[in-house]
Amino acid sequence: MSNLTQAFALVFQTDVLLAILLASIYGLVVGSLPGLSATMATALLVPITFYLSPIAAIATIIAASAMAIFSGDIPGALLRIPGTPASAAYTDEAYAMTRKGQPELALGIGLWFSALGGIAGTLSLMLLAPPLAEMALQFSTYENFWLAFLGLMCATLVARSSPVKAIASMLLGLLVSCIGIENPAGTPRFTFGMTDLFGGIEVIPALVGVFAVSEVMRAMMSAEPPKLPFRRFGSILKNQWNLTKQYVAPQVRGNIVGIIIGVLPGAGADMAAWVSYSMAKRFSKTPEKFGTGHPEGLIEAGASNNASLASGWVPALLFAIPGDTITAIAIGVLYMKGLNPGPTLFTEQASSMYALYIIFIIANIIMIPLGIMMIRLASRVLRAPRSAIMPVIVLMCAVGSFATGNNLFAVLTVAAFGVLGYVMERNGYPVAAMVLGIIMGTMVEQNLVTSIMKSDGSVLPFFDRPVAAVLAAMTIGALLWPVFAWGWRRVRMAAA
Amino acid sequence: MYLSDRVTGLFLVALGGVAAYGGSRLPPVPGQQIGPEVFPMVVGIGLALCGGMIAAGIGRSYEDEAEADLAKISAETEADGIPAAAHHSRWWELRALIPPALLLFYYFAVDRLGFLPTAGVVILVASLALGARARLAVPLALIAPLFVNLVFLKLLRVPLPSGMLPLPWIGLP
Repeated sequence: MSNLTQAFALVFQTDVLLAILLASIYGLVVGSLPGLSATMATALLVPITFYLSPIAAIATIIAASAMAIFSGDIPGALLRIPGTPASAAYTDEAYAMTRKGQPELALGIGLWFSALGGIAGTLSLMLLAPPLAEMALQFSTYENFWLAFLGLMCATLVARSSPVKAIASMLLGLLVSCIGIENPAGTPRFTFGMTDLFGGIEVIPALVGVFAVSEVMRAMMSAEPPKLPFRRFGSILKNQWNLTKQYVAPQVRGNIVGIIIGVLPGAGADMAAWVSYSMAKRFSKTPEKFGTGHPEGLIEAGASNNASLASGWVPALLFAIPGDTITAIAIGVLYMKGLNPGPTLFTEQASSMYALYIIFIIANIIMIPLGIMMIRLASRVLRAPRSAIMPVIVLMCAVGSFATGNNLFAVLTVAAFGVLGYVMERNGYPVAAMVLGIIMGTMVEQNLVTSIMKSDGSVLPFFDRPVAAVLAAMTIGALLWPVFAWGWRRVRMAAA
Repeated sequence: MYLSDRVTGLFLVALGGVAAYGGSRLPPVPGQQIGPEVFPMVVGIGLALCGGMIAAGIGRSYEDEAEADLAKISAETEADGIPAAAHHSRWWELRALIPPALLLFYYFAVDRLGFLPTAGVVILVASLALGARARLAVPLALIAPLFVNLVFLKLLRVPLPSGMLPLPWIGLP
């Protein structure tokens, strides 16, 4: 109980509350601008979090990402251009509703069910994390190795691309993590004599490059989205309570699917929304209404993408395995702030964990009033010309990455990873898989090397312990799954 | 910068090969069976294998499905009267390199020119490249660096170089 009191004391401080408020406004604005994703919003915030207290730093990440995922729905519903990829799955449905003259209903569903989904996700985090932490305390390096490996394989399975390319991206990330002297012997590895590379590739500049610079590069190639006409909205929350009572099943299903997808490493809010929208259609009694401005799919997918956000923190906090790209960034912040992810976080820093839950709940509650304000101001915010916003983002990438270590080399890292991210995306290589590789590389290597040293070169101990054996089976299954799928297709095609 | 699978696949084969070779040349740890060479070799060999499969077109069918979905959406968007991206010459793609080029410029210039002029140039070029009129781009290039300077130098105390433009009243020595 004293932990809980302490947690409240940690959260209800001026700097933390101010951080939540400002980050929420920032997240709402950035998320609503087409072409700026929630991940990008979070990545650009990291340099700022450097200078905040640990709890305030985490609060900014949580608040900004939750708001950005919701506000991506706004241009989706009004312009048919999703603000963030997480809204893309149901943009057509929301826009169809606007065309029927019900933009308030579309936006209200987005807001209300996002907030409820976010709270459901937080509950899952509260219920899942502590017992898993208890279990994880018993893990040895063998289990940790398999778990990290399984995390990497999951990221390749869930990518909407060729599994071979996803594995290649992940290996590329692991190769990047090899750079530097942080290896079993402390030998400079792939540093080419450059002292700047001795410390390895810094994760934050790499993420800023991959998620922000490559986005600006894409903007250079595409036409400016059309301007939003001024519009007066009626009541946003009208009818939402009735919809909540009417569509209980889709909402619960959306929450559960979102939570599961959030926990899977590498798959985040956008995947959750796609899966939930298609599930809503499959289970609906009136699937023919989908695409004509029907609330059912919006409710399920809107609940799902925000639920995935909180549950993505479960593997991140317990095993330093990011549940999605946003928690990939959050892990960097946790390390920076001395809250090193791991099961001991829940025993030694329990009050900080409770504080994290409280921040999630607060963020999802204030999302409703702030979201209503954002919707009403949307036609003004969305008129901001892209040619004014993108240049400032380029500058923020440069200054922000410099600020993380007072090192100009970080600016080069940002530029290089921007180009890499852009080229990869353009050629169908999933960037998220590479990011996971970069973040988890050192951990995978450490666990592998320590395990082999412990086992004296034998492979057997990797499968000896029951949990290790189960994890190993799952990992090998995940590794072989694309081969099975490919073979099965061949068989089916031959039969047809 | 669209490259065929054969090109990217063969590049990965080469990169994986170089990584594995480079890894194998690393000095072992005396008295240990396993040292810093193992991980890069495993990753390099894996990368080369994947590259070979990509070049051979294995797994391509999954991408065709995703592309068909995308094509369907953009066709619908066009039908709604929203124009798709216009077709341009080969050189058009090089525009994408403007943001990283500006970051390179920042890297080389900021210590010599100072933060404000460098940031001004970055903003001006990026803004004009995105199609802004001078009426927007010039004031933005003057104001935005001052604002960023205020946030990072005053609030976060990041030492930004003053270069040839010392302005003590805004914190640049």
